Amino acid sequence: MSANWVLKEDEAVELLALLITSARIQMDEPVEYGPLRLLTATERLSGLMLERSSDKTRDFLQENIERIPEMHMIMSDVAAYTAGLDERCRAVAACLLRHSALAEGE
Amino acid sequence: MMSEAVLTNIKTRRVVREMSDEPVERAQIEAILEAARWAPSGGNLRPNRYIVIEDAETRRLIRLVSPGMFQRAPVLILICTNWAVCAEHGLSASDRALLIDVGTAAQTMMLAAHALGLASGPVTSYSKEAVKIILNLPASYSPEMFICIGHKAETVGAGMRPWKKITWRDLTHWERFGK
Repeated sequence: MSANWVLKEDEAVELLALLITSARIQMDEPVEYGPLRLLTATERLSGLMLERSSDKTRDFLQENIERIPEMHMIMSDVAAYTAGLDERCRAVAACLLRHSALAEGE
Repeated sequence: MMSEAVLTNIKTRRVVREMSDEPVERAQIEAILEAARWAPSGGNLRPNRYIVIEDAETRRLIRLVSPGMFQRAPVLILICTNWAVCAEHGLSASDRALLIDVGTAAQTMMLAAHALGLASGPVTSYSKEAVKIILNLPASYSPEMFICIGHKAETVGAGMRPWKKITWRDLTHWERFGK
């Protein structure tokens, strides 16, 4: 497991602002916007972490930064949107494995 | 013909979510605000007030509490309802004319921006309470909608896919129903 710090306090507070305000505005917005806000937070966190991340994580973060804005544009295509989310889920699982003892020796 | 120019302006305006850092001239901002002054208003009561935000740090803080603000616009115009004006005329919070006023002002400003060669986009996905704190709004002001103003970025991705392809005919019914 990697123990290096990848966020500054100011950056973490910025992410908290996004998460808290997203929770509030979701009370007034269409349900489809829920995933959109979570993805926006993912993209924002990826951008904040990128500079100080390790090789195990960097490509995953870069992919989030590049692909998530494209996903916002296809929200109305439910099948494509779902496929994009599945693809991000596979990517995060692969990243978790790179950080896990399970992958050692593979 | 003048009418063609107006119709073309209406049909070619788009919501822009990617803007460059290029600043907007003060005269252009004032022209947009002047256009908003001529937007229709219920009873001609004009309860809207406009707050222009150019300061970079203030814009940054606004973005942090506005999950729906994808633009990094050099200018934000916040449309507010001034409830003091509403109280003078006995308008309640449930009066839909107030939201219609916000809409007519917003569209008029975005069309004016487009006519000036500028990009624009509305944003309503933000925390009203957080915006009130950041801008130190008077108690009688409620923040209703941001209009982001700037220049379209040179490299812009494909726009959001429509939920459904529609024409004006899909939105219109002629005369009485049931015929």
